[in-house]
Amino acid sequence: MNAGDAVVRKLVTFGRILREAGVEVGPGRVQDALRALDEIDMRRRDEVYAALACTLIARRDDLEIFDRAFRAWFEKDPTRLGGKAPDMGIGIDERPQPPAAAPRPGDSEDPEDQDEEQEEPDVLAAYSADERLRERDFSTLTRTELLRLRALMDRLVRVLPTRPSRRLELAPNGFQIAPRETLRRAMRREGEPVERAFRRKKRVERRVVFLCDVSGSMEPYSRALVLFLQAAVSAGRKVEAFTFGTRLTRLTPYLGGYDPEASLQRASRAVPDWAGGTRIGDAFKAFNDLYGRRGLTRGSVVVIVSDGWERGDVSQLALEMARLRRRCHSIIWVNPLKGTEGYEPLAAGMAAALPYVDVFLPGHNLIALESLAEALRASGGRRSSVRPATLRSAA
Amino acid sequence: MTINEMRDSIDGVQQALAERSYLADRGLATTVHLALKLGKPVLLEGEAGVGKTELAKVVADALGARLIRLQCYEGIDVAHALYDWAYARQMLYIRTLEATGDARQGEEVLDELFGPRFLERRPLLDAIACDDEVPPVLLIDEIDRADDEFEAFLLELLSDFQVTIPEIGTIKAERRPVVFLTSNRTRELHEALKRRCLYMWVEMPDLDREIAIVRARVPEAPERLAAQAAAFVHELRTLDLTKQPGIAETIDWTQALLALGQEEIEAGVVDLTLGSVLKFHEDIGRVRDADLQQIVERARSVADDTQIPAS
Repeated sequence: MNAGDAVVRKLVTFGRILREAGVEVGPGRVQDALRALDEIDMRRRDEVYAALACTLIARRDDLEIFDRAFRAWFEKDPTRLGGKAPDMGIGIDERPQPPAAAPRPGDSEDPEDQDEEQEEPDVLAAYSADERLRERDFSTLTRTELLRLRALMDRLVRVLPTRPSRRLELAPNGFQIAPRETLRRAMRREGEPVERAFRRKKRVERRVVFLCDVSGSMEPYSRALVLFLQAAVSAGRKVEAFTFGTRLTRLTPYLGGYDPEASLQRASRAVPDWAGGTRIGDAFKAFNDLYGRRGLTRGSVVVIVSDGWERGDVSQLALEMARLRRRCHSIIWVNPLKGTEGYEPLAAGMAAALPYVDVFLPGHNLIALESLAEALRASGGRRSSVRPATLRSAA
Repeated sequence: MTINEMRDSIDGVQQALAERSYLADRGLATTVHLALKLGKPVLLEGEAGVGKTELAKVVADALGARLIRLQCYEGIDVAHALYDWAYARQMLYIRTLEATGDARQGEEVLDELFGPRFLERRPLLDAIACDDEVPPVLLIDEIDRADDEFEAFLLELLSDFQVTIPEIGTIKAERRPVVFLTSNRTRELHEALKRRCLYMWVEMPDLDREIAIVRARVPEAPERLAAQAAAFVHELRTLDLTKQPGIAETIDWTQALLALGQEEIEAGVVDLTLGSVLKFHEDIGRVRDADLQQIVERARSVADDTQIPAS
């Protein structure tokens, strides 16, 4: 029993608090933190803070939680651990609806269960106006639809586009001599390089970024799409998924894992603006600023699923589409309305965005969604450097 | 400043960095100190231009160590990062041996062929096999650009600091290099890799610190100019820009203003030199729209209010 023990106990508890707040803190980390505390002046707040932060935390998003926890725990600051820590929804038992109750696309669901889920951490309360903060269960589809979707998902997951890698692989019809293999074969022939080996560029997956509109008008389609996003992400493919309505949500971290149902529930909890309004321009701006700038879209195929109903400023949408197009390999736009007869891209947002779109597809039913898989597979080739002038539309 | 002095105290680190015009805050200095003390790599994340790469350079300089830099890119592999055999020279060597009728035994020649002479060391092997008095500083830049497989490979390397080359054997670092990894967060790194590192998010500095940084980096600039330039860039960061200017831009810009013989900032010259601060056409347009004159005025008054810290 000495001062050291007290520090250990305090630190272990602190680790547990962080874990409860949703930060991954393994026992190894706590050990590192202990070692770090040995090396610094424990009386200095800034040093203790830095020592704990650099050992216990591994991503920027967790720093805020750390900051609050640090103040609450080590400084006994009564301003609590801050609202609710981001709830990833682990361990909450919420059975999905029985398949019999499947609503058809367009059905709105019970108005009753909208209100009870209004509480969200303050962070999310930035937008107001026409946004309806609520959570949705993605998994209310009929069994046949689900089966169909499963098959589709598997296909989609298999046909993701590729790009040439910098790495080379041995190939009889390669373009370059492979020295290592040539030399190895030469060994068999007394050092005479009779047989030459060739190599060529290996092809690796090209990243696909999905931007999925979850506003009211798009709701039934988005639900289907989120299902196969889940398949792609959990298969470990290079897929990034975002949803937007009135705000942008990165869905990828919630979609991983082996249990599709659990990850769908996590995802539906993570999307705050499900079936609300749309401000596509704002959402794309947020995307470009946050992710595009960091290079997420570089070289990737961007798939936008939206009906193009823009309630915000259309000129902003055009501007952001231009920015997006400059930073990605190609843009595929899936519009469910395109499936209806005599469709013209009249929605102002759609018209503004079209000049920047490489492939424009319908997406009103499953068959149409299959054409998305085709388009994706075909999109692996060379990037067209000019703005797509004529619009190809598959299917 | 030796490695031991830097290990001894956080003040020592802060001072050693400051002597090299790198003004680190207490948090950053603590992390560097811990990295030296615990022998762990540091993972630096932060906006472009906050001085992540620079930190590694300055630490290397302060330690009197060699800086070995590995720039990552998509598709980087062992042949680019660790070692490769000089095939062409090996082939030529064999031919030469034949032509001169060298009568040595095959085994002997083979040993020579796959010996240090024909081994091309790449940065990682360089860092491990380095036999300098002071262990080198290894900077693995923009690790997020490399692919997952490479990360897994690094993981192994960073825990043991040894590599095995089949033809030669295992090479182990006699003294562990000081490792810095930087990431721009284009993707999330693997948990396992992060676990081996100390994590540091590098923030944009506050105004006072930025003024101090500019003055340290551009000592020939007049105080007023440095303060106003830093204040102006701070004003820019409050605007909604595509790419926020980093510290590197502030320094560049101050140098540009100095080269033009400016003592203070004024709208006309600012407008002409905006290209040193903002690197996007849209951003330049946005700043001009937002009334440049006004921003300049604001920056000047903020700079006047700020007490200029002694350097």
